[in-house]
Amino acid sequence: MSGVLKILFFLVLCVFTHFSWANDEQSYDRLYDWITNPIPFEPIETGTHLGLEDRSSILEALIPQSAWKYYIFDGMDMEIAATGVYPAPPDWGQHMNDDYHLDDRGVLVNFKGGGFPFRDIDGADPFAAQKVIWNMLWRPGQVDYVMPMTTWLRGEGGRLDRKLEFTSIASSYSRGDHCLVEGYEEVKTKRVMEFRSPRDMAGAKDMSISYVDHERENSGWMYMPSQRKPRRTLASERTSELMGMDMIREDINGFGGKVYENSWTYLGTKSVLATINVPDNPEAGGPHLWVPHKTRWEVRKAHVVLMHPTVDNHPYSSRIVFIDADTNWTLWMFAFDREDNYLLRMNQHYLKYSESYAYEMPQQAPYIKQDFSENVGHHVFLHLGESDINAKKPHATVTHCYVKKREFTEARAKQFYSLRNMVSGRR
Amino acid sequence: MKGYIKPHSCAVGICLFLFTNHLFAIVSLGTELEFEGFVKFQNILRTPKFKSAEAIMQRNTAQLEGKYYFLKDSQAFGLFNTGPVEEATLTVTGRGVYDSIYDVRSSYDHAFSKADGRYGRTEASLREAFVDVVLPPVTLRLGRQQVVWGETDGFRALDVINPLDLSWHWSRESWEDIRIPLWMARGIYDIGKFSWFDESFVEAIWIPTDFRENSISTDPRKPWAFTGNGLNKTANAIVKEGLLLDLDTEMRNRRPNKKLTNGQAGLRFKAIWGDIDFSLNYFYGFSADTGIRVQKHLSQTIDNTFYTVKDIVNPRTHVLGFTANYSDERFTQSVLRMETTFTTGIPVKVSADAPITADPDRDQYDTARRTVVMIAADRPTWIRALNKTRTVFLSSQIFWRHYVDYNQYYRGMSTVKQATFDGRVVSGKYITENTDLIDRDEFVMTFSASTAYGAAGLLKPTFVMAFDPRSTGAYNKLKVDYFWSDNILLRFQQHIYWRGFNNDPGPWGLGDIWGQTSENSRHETDLSIIFQF
Repeated sequence: MSGVLKILFFLVLCVFTHFSWANDEQSYDRLYDWITNPIPFEPIETGTHLGLEDRSSILEALIPQSAWKYYIFDGMDMEIAATGVYPAPPDWGQHMNDDYHLDDRGVLVNFKGGGFPFRDIDGADPFAAQKVIWNMLWRPGQVDYVMPMTTWLRGEGGRLDRKLEFTSIASSYSRGDHCLVEGYEEVKTKRVMEFRSPRDMAGAKDMSISYVDHERENSGWMYMPSQRKPRRTLASERTSELMGMDMIREDINGFGGKVYENSWTYLGTKSVLATINVPDNPEAGGPHLWVPHKTRWEVRKAHVVLMHPTVDNHPYSSRIVFIDADTNWTLWMFAFDREDNYLLRMNQHYLKYSESYAYEMPQQAPYIKQDFSENVGHHVFLHLGESDINAKKPHATVTHCYVKKREFTEARAKQFYSLRNMVSGRR
Repeated sequence: MKGYIKPHSCAVGICLFLFTNHLFAIVSLGTELEFEGFVKFQNILRTPKFKSAEAIMQRNTAQLEGKYYFLKDSQAFGLFNTGPVEEATLTVTGRGVYDSIYDVRSSYDHAFSKADGRYGRTEASLREAFVDVVLPPVTLRLGRQQVVWGETDGFRALDVINPLDLSWHWSRESWEDIRIPLWMARGIYDIGKFSWFDESFVEAIWIPTDFRENSISTDPRKPWAFTGNGLNKTANAIVKEGLLLDLDTEMRNRRPNKKLTNGQAGLRFKAIWGDIDFSLNYFYGFSADTGIRVQKHLSQTIDNTFYTVKDIVNPRTHVLGFTANYSDERFTQSVLRMETTFTTGIPVKVSADAPITADPDRDQYDTARRTVVMIAADRPTWIRALNKTRTVFLSSQIFWRHYVDYNQYYRGMSTVKQATFDGRVVSGKYITENTDLIDRDEFVMTFSASTAYGAAGLLKPTFVMAFDPRSTGAYNKLKVDYFWSDNILLRFQQHIYWRGFNNDPGPWGLGDIWGQTSENSRHETDLSIIFQF
């Protein structure tokens, strides 16, 4: 009898050990260890297709550990391309002002765009982390587009809970030594986003104005067809999930919050796999259809930035962002639950370089056809989508963006990005 | 029932169900034409005093909305250049309603006959039809439409351009669906930044001839008839000089008719000053609230009947308003809203026993001037005990209405009572009396809380409360939406009316007028299935 009990005890122990290991894989400590103690990996030949069999030799070294659970799966297919060089626009950095500086909290003061504020990142610099983030926040190509999107909200097993369609149109106003619209020098960007479906959201649109002054909160209005009037929105609440999606406003582009509401640490650079120049909006894969599948990846060197929210009631204990060291686009983001320091949310981004549109065209939005050939010549990245995963629910939001670069004229921007445009809508 | 539901109607319904069930979103025909809409099956169960239950509504609504993009990038129909006209679209919204309760409930057979036109059973209407034209810096919207001004939710101060259809479910529906669209022209001239102002524009509206009043049903056979505070009956008797007489009332329509001199117009300037978004508004129109003017000189008693003549009037009004909102990101993390109006020409009842100084025309009618001040706050708030992943959106308002030229003989809601004579109840006879003294200052407070639950936020509860501190009357609504799929929405709503003390009906249509102690109790449970595409 005691032998049976011993076996049972052993089995229970095994089960507990297994689960604790599985959960532990997504702890903050494990990701921190993964970053600070690199796993050696074998060199990868261009054109190689990585699968589950490459887990220990390559994948575990190049995919951040918190994401293994979703990105390494039976049947996976990652095509590896050579690490590309993606030049910024030829005039990038030519029209910058030079009278900007970081204050003692790491807040960028008086910068007006037109280039990266910090060309070189020195790991020993106490403000290195903030500088990486500022480069990301002022990167080229982040706006000036018409971007129809489709978003799938999926549960486990790929269960589709909701599908949303909406279009975002945004322009950068502050461009270094000049502003898109004269007299609006305080504005960084303006954006109008309108929902198309499902019908309960169709016609809902919001306008958001962000400012050059980082201390100043965005201004926002939302027009709801059921109310037939715009309503002022609050910008400083950034930690609630958005419209059923598995992201909060602060998660946008890895970090969309306020620099002064966090403490910062630069963790150096790290090689990671990234979907930085995909041929097309990738199909969804994995057991839950949450991650890109059968698409092109590159091994990229990324700055790793660790931040701890200083606000008491913030849902995150910490956030780790991987930002491409060459292009300053966010590749991966991991945010950990304040309650237990385990992964709460993560996102991973699919990008495409504008010049690749000359020989490789991605798909059109299902509801509008655009001339993507005009994207060529901009020398910027276009955001083709992202996976946002909530590890605790568990649930994911997969978004495809169908981006067309669009430069507004001053007159058109003035008319389009106006409160006047928000007093009526689709209905 | 046999005569109204036909097999081919069922087939059409089933096809419609299958069709909508496989539609995800807006239906596009080519790149110029889009359709969307919904089919809604709404069932309302009334539970008077929570002692019994009766099905009062089975309203089936189909709404189709079409949009035609006939002018894009200064090209009309893809054929010719339109110069400065950059864009134009045509939007048409049609709605059809069939309330099957009149066929399902046999008790309604007696209430309504074909001679009545089965009033309330069906509706087919062109809700909206307008052309949007973008001619920078001017935008125009021409046609039948809704225009909403102001910052207030659920009560009207500046939002007076379109009247409301209160006849079928009072104001308990989305106002988008019960506003009565009007034929009008709306033009906006965008100014942008000038002087201290940003995002500024001037808006003008002109309603040439299309006046409509708020639609209220007074037929007690209708489930949402408004018969005042008391019995759900129409007065058919009157006590005159100690005698109980039959009452015969002739209502004469003296509303503004459709001619250009009865036009209505409005002007609004909206801008941002500092971080304050504000507007100055003026509307010259007619009161959508109807007044009743008793023509005493035409009233007479013949035999046992008192004949009276009353005119239905909607006086001219001037509405002057100011609104503002401010997003306080730092201290309260709230959006603060305010609205204030000064309105003339508000029709008011005057007590029948008012002295001549209070009612010089002896018509039991006056027009008053009134001010409204509304202050409100919206706040997305973390209440982690209720929801760990999403904030709860809290919104509250205080609404203060003040009669500038107050008259102590002003009266509010009348009461229909059983007629008595010599201390005995007279069967089948009802009289009306009005002892509801209007308060010079009227208040109402509202509070709402909404959030979303579930992994994809598909379960959306909303709690609403409106409370009148003077009458202690209140209204509560609990609404829960569940998105079964992108096409199918299930909606549950519970409406409850109650009062703390006394028997003051108050001016807002809240409280026990439709609650626990009234003979007219209208607590309701509303279950709807909505197919949307």
